[in-house]
Amino acid sequence: MPPEENPTAPAHDAPHPALPEGAIRLLNPDGTLVPGAQAPMGREEAVRLYEAMRRQRILDERMLVLQRQGRIGFYGAAQGEEAAVFASAAALRPTDWVVPALRQAGILLMRGLPLYEYLCQLLGNADDVTRGRQMPCHPEGSRFHYLTMSSCIATQVPHATGLALAAKKKGRDDVAVGYTGDGATSEGDFHAGLVMAAALRAPAVFVVQNNQWSISVPVSRQSAARNLASRARATGIPSALVDGNDAFAVYDATRRAVERARSGGGPSLIEAYTYRMGAHTTSDDPSRYRDEGVTAAWRPLDPVDRLRRWLERAGLWTGEREEALSQGWVQEIKEVWARAEAVPRPGVDSLFEDVFRAPTGEIVEQRDALRAHVERFGSASDEAH
Amino acid sequence: MSDAEATAPTLDEMRSFYREMLLQRRFEEAAARVYTQGKIGGFCHLYIGQEAVGTGAIRALRPDDYVVTAYRDHGHALSKGSSSRAVMAELFGRSTGTSQGLGGSMHLFDVDRGLLGGYGIVGGHVPLAAGVAFASKYRGDGRVTLCFMGDGAVNQGVFFEAMQLASLWSLPVVFIVENNLYAMGTPLSMQTPVEDISLKAVPFGMDRDRFEDRDVFEVRRRVGRAVDRAREEGRPTFLEVLTYRYRGHSMSDPARYRTKEEVEERRLRDPLLFLEQRIKDAGAGGDLAAIEESVAAEVEDALEFAENSPPPDPEVATRFVYA
Ligand SMILES: Cc1ncc(C[n+]2csc(CCOP(=O)(O)OP(=O)(O)O)c2C)c(N)n1
Ligand SMILES: Cc1ncc(C[n+]2csc(CCOP(=O)(O)OP(=O)(O)O)c2C)c(N)n1
Ligand SMILES: [Mg+2]
Ligand SMILES: [Mg+2]
Repeated sequence: MPPEENPTAPAHDAPHPALPEGAIRLLNPDGTLVPGAQAPMGREEAVRLYEAMRRQRILDERMLVLQRQGRIGFYGAAQGEEAAVFASAAALRPTDWVVPALRQAGILLMRGLPLYEYLCQLLGNADDVTRGRQMPCHPEGSRFHYLTMSSCIATQVPHATGLALAAKKKGRDDVAVGYTGDGATSEGDFHAGLVMAAALRAPAVFVVQNNQWSISVPVSRQSAARNLASRARATGIPSALVDGNDAFAVYDATRRAVERARSGGGPSLIEAYTYRMGAHTTSDDPSRYRDEGVTAAWRPLDPVDRLRRWLERAGLWTGEREEALSQGWVQEIKEVWARAEAVPRPGVDSLFEDVFRAPTGEIVEQRDALRAHVERFGSASDEAH
Repeated sequence: MSDAEATAPTLDEMRSFYREMLLQRRFEEAAARVYTQGKIGGFCHLYIGQEAVGTGAIRALRPDDYVVTAYRDHGHALSKGSSSRAVMAELFGRSTGTSQGLGGSMHLFDVDRGLLGGYGIVGGHVPLAAGVAFASKYRGDGRVTLCFMGDGAVNQGVFFEAMQLASLWSLPVVFIVENNLYAMGTPLSMQTPVEDISLKAVPFGMDRDRFEDRDVFEVRRRVGRAVDRAREEGRPTFLEVLTYRYRGHSMSDPARYRTKEEVEERRLRDPLLFLEQRIKDAGAGGDLAAIEESVAAEVEDALEFAENSPPPDPEVATRFVYA
């Protein structure tokens, strides 16, 4: 068959910013409420949510710069998806489990993880509890009911199902929320997890952040269905399709789904329709495969600015508060980063720790051999970084 | 074939379909008998009760179309044209079997007749079927692939992946779920809150249909539509056929998870009996004895052939590993 007919050939069709049919929106891009809609959260709560979203935007920008300077190995940003991430997490109790994909690490900061720990994990230094064994953006947060990220996409669905079933078995009314992207919905795990959640009525919520891209593959090459929310229908799971750049719509849908799960009504799925404004990760250059004109067309729909406009209209936010938030946070990042960056890498001995309580003979042997090697030739981890 | 032609079978067709279904039934009854005598080793899953699905569906195909199926495959192989001798010999693990005695009951394979297996991993063969259909599309050979699976298979991740690609790439494939209400001892109601399995097609924007197996000609008609769609429009279809197995999941299953009454009630709706009655109603009831006799002789011959065939040469163990 001629190459242009090869069904596996990559497409470069980029989705435009129109809201899909049936998607729920409460907050217009100009910060006004849709006629008949009400703000689904209290005023103070809305302010806190906005602050978390804005902080994430600033943190991402700062970390991307540090990565480009070679000071962090890798970074995956949430740019453009802050409403989907934070407004959904804001609808949870602190004991509800969060099972994140790549773009949800900021939820940990919102739940109280010190920035220092977050940055040490990005550096993989000696103060990182996982001691550099995970890629950056995979912070550990079990004390905040946040599961360390699994890099394998779609695993969040079976994992959240498992955590939800565990809570149910223990007689707790906690809920587990699994986050995935649009690409993950093509994985077998995604479906097998949904089937299990449905069959066993797991108190789980699945948030699909449809940012239109799975690295370089657009949704149109992943799905022949009109939307991803329909993925749930085959398993009997209720679903909602929401404007993912609308913090109110995301919050409201998540709150309903969480209430349903908590009261024994079983799992549900939310598709948050949004756009990945930046690169997939720092290892990617989207200008190679997509029309960045489309990205620019999404800019007026920005979720962070949208919520800010609403706050300003409601008299809850001002230019001065914005300045104070932004300057204070930039300063904090700067200071904490300086402290974290000064911490050395984990010693080579750490490679042999955390496997057995007491190392086995083979491990001792290998550790001694490596020590001798380092003695003779030095170690990269002794070098300044 | 037009729809009308398909629904109103000729008497010849009725006799021919009846013989095919009866052969599968008697063949498996005999296999079950010799299995308990220790002549057949390994797993053995009987298709008894479901014959109308495979028979009707495969009759909707062209001889050069492909069939890919799971381990409950004896009936499918016979319908696809494998000889009862070769199928029985495979059950016996003899060199004259469809897979030269290497596969056994679950792994019938007959490439000349387009039967591409026989697979034991639940759902594992569904992407293989999509791959076969992809090859047909790529080569432009106009063939359709029919993929049979059980109701348990639709809960496997690979099933969804295969559905997704079949739909996105417009592959000429027809997926058929033989919903016999149980996956081993797990009833459908415990597997899913959605008992309409055909809804699995919705997320993939795939055409779907759902019907009972009672009338084998109706099965052929409904599958025929899907086959036409695959061949002419290059679009896949997802079908759910409601059926029932009268025996246990496999020869080692006493089926204690369901009541005798349930099975008895289902037996009254046996598609084979239904067709028998139809032949009687058409005034040809007198032909049935001859069909029964010819089937009995064929099964006897298959058993004898299998028993007298040699086991595989030990060398065969390495022969089909590398090209
Ligand atoms: C099982 C698996 N396959 C492939 C990858 C490589 N991979 C990493 S991210 C990604 C795309 C994910 O896209 P999506 O689910 O839409 O999430 P997004 O990155 O857009 O947030 C892929 C294919 C992986 N991590 N895991
Ligand atoms: C991946 C996998 N898991 C489990 C099994 C064990 N197993 C064999 S048959 C079966 C039930 C399948 O039921 P269904 O798909 O409804 O087919 P049926 O036997 O009813 O024809 C199971 C669970 C297997 N073979 N493969
Ligand atoms: Mg994506
Ligand atoms: Mg079954």
